[in-house]
Amino acid sequence: MAAVDEDAFTLGATAVERVWVGRPEEPGKVHVHLLGEFPPMADWGFPALLGREGDVVRHADTAEELQEALRSLEEGDDGPALVVASELPERAVGRARPRAAGPGAASVAYLLERTEEASPLDIGKPASGRRAVASTLRLGGPRIELPRFVTLVGDWDGPTAAEPTAPNTAGRPWKESTLSAVSEGAYVPRARYLENLPSRWRFLSETCRGCGGTTFPARGICRRCGRSDALTSLALPLDGGRVVAITTVGKGGQPTEFDYQVESLGPYDVALVELARGMRVTLQVTDCPPGTLKVGDRVNTMLRRLYPMEGEWRYGRKAVPAPSSTLRRSPG
Amino acid sequence: MGAGHTRFGVREEGPRALLRNAVDAAFSSVDRGASRRDVGEAFLATLGFGGHQIGNSSAALAEEAGLVGVPVTRVENACASGGFALRSAAGALSAGAGPLVLVAGVEKMTDVTNARRRYWLGVSGDTEWERLAGLTFAGVYGLIASRYFAEHGDASEALVEIAHKNHENGALNPNAHFQKVVTREEVRAAPRVARPLGLYDCCPVSDGAAALLLTSPELAHRYTDTPVYLDGMGAGTDYLAVQERKDLTRFHATERAAHEAFRSAGWNRSDVSFLEVHDCFTIAELLALEDLGFAAPGEAPALTLSGATRRTGPLPVNPDGGLKAKGHPIGATGVSQAYEIFVQLRGQAGARQVAHAGHALAHNVGGAGATATVSLFSVG
Repeated sequence: MAAVDEDAFTLGATAVERVWVGRPEEPGKVHVHLLGEFPPMADWGFPALLGREGDVVRHADTAEELQEALRSLEEGDDGPALVVASELPERAVGRARPRAAGPGAASVAYLLERTEEASPLDIGKPASGRRAVASTLRLGGPRIELPRFVTLVGDWDGPTAAEPTAPNTAGRPWKESTLSAVSEGAYVPRARYLENLPSRWRFLSETCRGCGGTTFPARGICRRCGRSDALTSLALPLDGGRVVAITTVGKGGQPTEFDYQVESLGPYDVALVELARGMRVTLQVTDCPPGTLKVGDRVNTMLRRLYPMEGEWRYGRKAVPAPSSTLRRSPG
Repeated sequence: MGAGHTRFGVREEGPRALLRNAVDAAFSSVDRGASRRDVGEAFLATLGFGGHQIGNSSAALAEEAGLVGVPVTRVENACASGGFALRSAAGALSAGAGPLVLVAGVEKMTDVTNARRRYWLGVSGDTEWERLAGLTFAGVYGLIASRYFAEHGDASEALVEIAHKNHENGALNPNAHFQKVVTREEVRAAPRVARPLGLYDCCPVSDGAAALLLTSPELAHRYTDTPVYLDGMGAGTDYLAVQERKDLTRFHATERAAHEAFRSAGWNRSDVSFLEVHDCFTIAELLALEDLGFAAPGEAPALTLSGATRRTGPLPVNPDGGLKAKGHPIGATGVSQAYEIFVQLRGQAGARQVAHAGHALAHNVGGAGATATVSLFSVG
């Protein structure tokens, strides 16, 4: 059983990135199902980002449509599938059964469920309690690559009888109370979080036709000359940033929102990363032990869980070491 | 012409009692006495840490200072609240608010839960992009230190020296939170809070208050034969988030404030006998020495390791122990720096007295360099 990065495990909502499922040498047809009005996946063309030519991309707008999609997954068996469900409506009930592993049949069912009903939830062992958050990720068949979306740590060595049905229960890095317990943190209202999502997820900046300056995060006004009527949106590259400064935050040095992370996973790195055009962003570092990255190193970014607030997880980018050139970055 | 100070540390008193004690001490310190009726205006520096009277706390100062009726304005510029309150008071004096203007700073920080404390320790920086990437101020200064090391080489030993020196000074200060010497080896061995910064690189969380009484130069001798003069002041701001700044290893707010202060006072750097700088983290003392113009960029570690900034050296820095050992009750800190200069310049600093103290500089920073003041004082 492959160990799966815990941050990625709960990344239910935010498949902004290209996702690739299938055998690297012979990518199979992918079924992509999306649910949820938030994030505004349809508006941003996410289905097209997620799928590739020949893929079946389906956008489910309601919990019922998602359930229908999941049922079709169980009934049909014509290729790998990815289910991404985000922001299920209150009391929505989802259902997903991991598909049998076998040669040529890769499957991923990934579901983030928020429900007060236990049945017919069948996505492993859902967390108990109110507003349960449950997710499942099954990997079968040959290698599955989900660039940026899920990081596999180690090779998958086939299903075993003892394979857990719930995601990594042994190392679950947060308590059930994490989402509800955080009430003393610095406050970023949901409205502001949503307002800044384009900058947080896609590094959306603004260039000024007046003075040529670039402003990041985008804020509707040129930081250099103050004009607000000559701005052009520009998404900065997500990869290839450079570490300008980096620190390892140890126990006692973390903001309250990150208590669960330090308690369960230990110290973490935070880097100031220089993107294109000299724009800088502060990013937590993941997928490598603290202290790995140094000033001057190149990093890529991945979409990950950031912090809990207002009873939900907030997502955004984290930095990862740029892979060596021998590693495959993304398909196509 | 008057200055008062409570002991800093974990105090039993609440913020009102701390204020009252500091203000009383300031009045008691006036050589020929001063009447509260002479106070025309007052300024209160406080963050309202933990939610202590987060709004309209000026009225509480008026009550505790025996000044009900007198206009009071609260100044909140995070850790630089005290410096900016002093600036406001000087402006009010110039505008004729005297004969006396009171400046008081207070913070009560130790009576809240650990989680709540760490929340409040982070409210003065950028929330959305920095704090919620996992940084408190220790983390932000950790970033700054890592950048400093990358640009100028490993300065770890200079940071050790600063922690050791300021604890040594604090051990002589009866008002200090920490009054014990910490060996260099203890500093090196302490757990890391935000690498490269360790526990002894960080100032403590303290309660405390300080107060100043200001009057105009022409009235000063009515109250004392040895007034301390505020010869020049400067202040500045910078982007709140460090990620917005081009340069991590210089605080432009400090540079601007220093430039303005020295220009308005007509002083040279060589006039200064000793410094009170904002060493919330040891790396901040290195930055301060360079931003204030006492060391070229990258030269502050060598200056520190030479011993020049020790209390007995040619340019003592933080003879009261600094924020590092004396403590950092946020609103009180900038006022406390002026208190220290007041007693040092008048030769009343006791065991920690600096030799030949005639001109002194106070440097107060808010957040990670987003606000700053520099004040220049002389005696005689």
